[in-house]
Amino acid sequence: MTRFGRRDETLPDLMAEAALSALADAMIEEPDGLVVAAMNPEEFTGAGNYGSLINTHLGLSHVPALRVETATSSGVAAVYSAFASIASGLHKTVLVVGGEKMSHMPTPRVSEIIGRSIDPHERSYGTTMPALAGLITRAAMQRRGLTLKEISQVAVKNHANGARNPLAHFQEAVTLEAVMDSRLVADPLRLFHCCPISDGAAAIVMTAEPAEVRIAGIGQGTDTIAMRYRNDLTAFVATQTAAQVAYRMAGFGPERVEVAEIHDAFTPFEIISLEDTGLIPPGKAGRATLEGETALDGRLPINTSGGLKARGHPLAGTGIAQLVELCWQLRGMAAGRQVQARVGLAQSIGGLATNNWVTLLEARR
Amino acid sequence: MIVHTLPASRCPRCHRLVVPPARLCPDHPVTMEAATVPNVGEVVSFTTLHSPPEGFKAPLHIALVELDGGARLFCHGEETRGIKIGSSVGVESVDHVFYFSHMGFADRARLFWRRAGASGEKVASITKSVVQGIWRGRSRGDS
Repeated sequence: MTRFGRRDETLPDLMAEAALSALADAMIEEPDGLVVAAMNPEEFTGAGNYGSLINTHLGLSHVPALRVETATSSGVAAVYSAFASIASGLHKTVLVVGGEKMSHMPTPRVSEIIGRSIDPHERSYGTTMPALAGLITRAAMQRRGLTLKEISQVAVKNHANGARNPLAHFQEAVTLEAVMDSRLVADPLRLFHCCPISDGAAAIVMTAEPAEVRIAGIGQGTDTIAMRYRNDLTAFVATQTAAQVAYRMAGFGPERVEVAEIHDAFTPFEIISLEDTGLIPPGKAGRATLEGETALDGRLPINTSGGLKARGHPLAGTGIAQLVELCWQLRGMAAGRQVQARVGLAQSIGGLATNNWVTLLEARR
Repeated sequence: MIVHTLPASRCPRCHRLVVPPARLCPDHPVTMEAATVPNVGEVVSFTTLHSPPEGFKAPLHIALVELDGGARLFCHGEETRGIKIGSSVGVESVDHVFYFSHMGFADRARLFWRRAGASGEKVASITKSVVQGIWRGRSRGDS
């Protein structure tokens, strides 16, 4: 993967940087399939037909290429597509690359483009991702006892991890006071509870041959695009479904997971998602975070990369970057932030939890 | 505030109510029926956006309200002072945009009696169907 943050390169160049390093790492010159993930490249970069744009840019114009999109979880959707094509025998080796380039645009414009993944009727009320996350956070505080300190500690922890990741967007620690005193964005959410606008790309090579890390399970879960159609704001059904599917495929449950990358686009989502995936029992994830259980040296390290909060969130690049981090952790290549783990879990949220994924990776050793 | 109704749709299969009206139920691929819902309910959650998207003025107050009967809808409001999760609010539609407002004491009292009336009718209808069931059971037993 590339370094995430403000980048001057074009999106095809960022994707090429990530793809070439993944191919070199896998010692493969040419895959027999390519899957590209990009959420809104037409709006952000003015270019479309991204499958063909990227295969040509990579010198792989003869390799069959697809573009896959499920909003902010597009990267994992692309991995799923590659997984299915390999499992079915259609392809032997598939390159998956995803990314986004958006920091060159003014923030209100970026928010508006990302907001197009919201139900159009609800969007006509001025709802943005932070607005919906604000509604969810307030409801979770009232109904589940989530506290401002708990959601702020997630930011402190993830920034501390990002400070150890040379590819992270933010590589400095923040204090609990700085998070809790940052400006209000969507009451009760403050600026430091929200992930940044990042450029970047990530890539992985998937193969039918035995490799150091295998996908033990991958699951998708969906929910209504309209928030007003949901009965409960404080848990994500799409994550719960995705987790059940992934655990069933893997043949094991959350008890074997030793490290996880969680979609903390807004810090309360990390706490909600830890419970939705079954990694921490209901109602306990906030306290576990305050007690350091999810820190780098805790019982269950969460977002060792820094998460979306500190590593950054180039939309369609994020789900793949989560899997890259887990691969590095499982292969002992996460210098400066290495944890001991054989099984890792990644959870990716598409839209406002409309199309979510859970992936389980296992080291073969 | 006078209690009146808002246009909605009801799924003939699961009886889910949605506002504004929609053609198909989100959970079943079946055509929904026209329905109405009262314009009063409770705040599910709310937020204030300090940097709203283009076309909206800050601060932008947004609430998700659950109307009596279960349909939920998004609304704008003049302010959120005094509003809590669970607060009773009235919803008005102005030029197809919903606005919530805190209900005053008189509104809440009127609503209380209206709800009591509705549940009273429900009790009466349940009693009626139980009596009918017993009657039918007896007539079957006789034959």
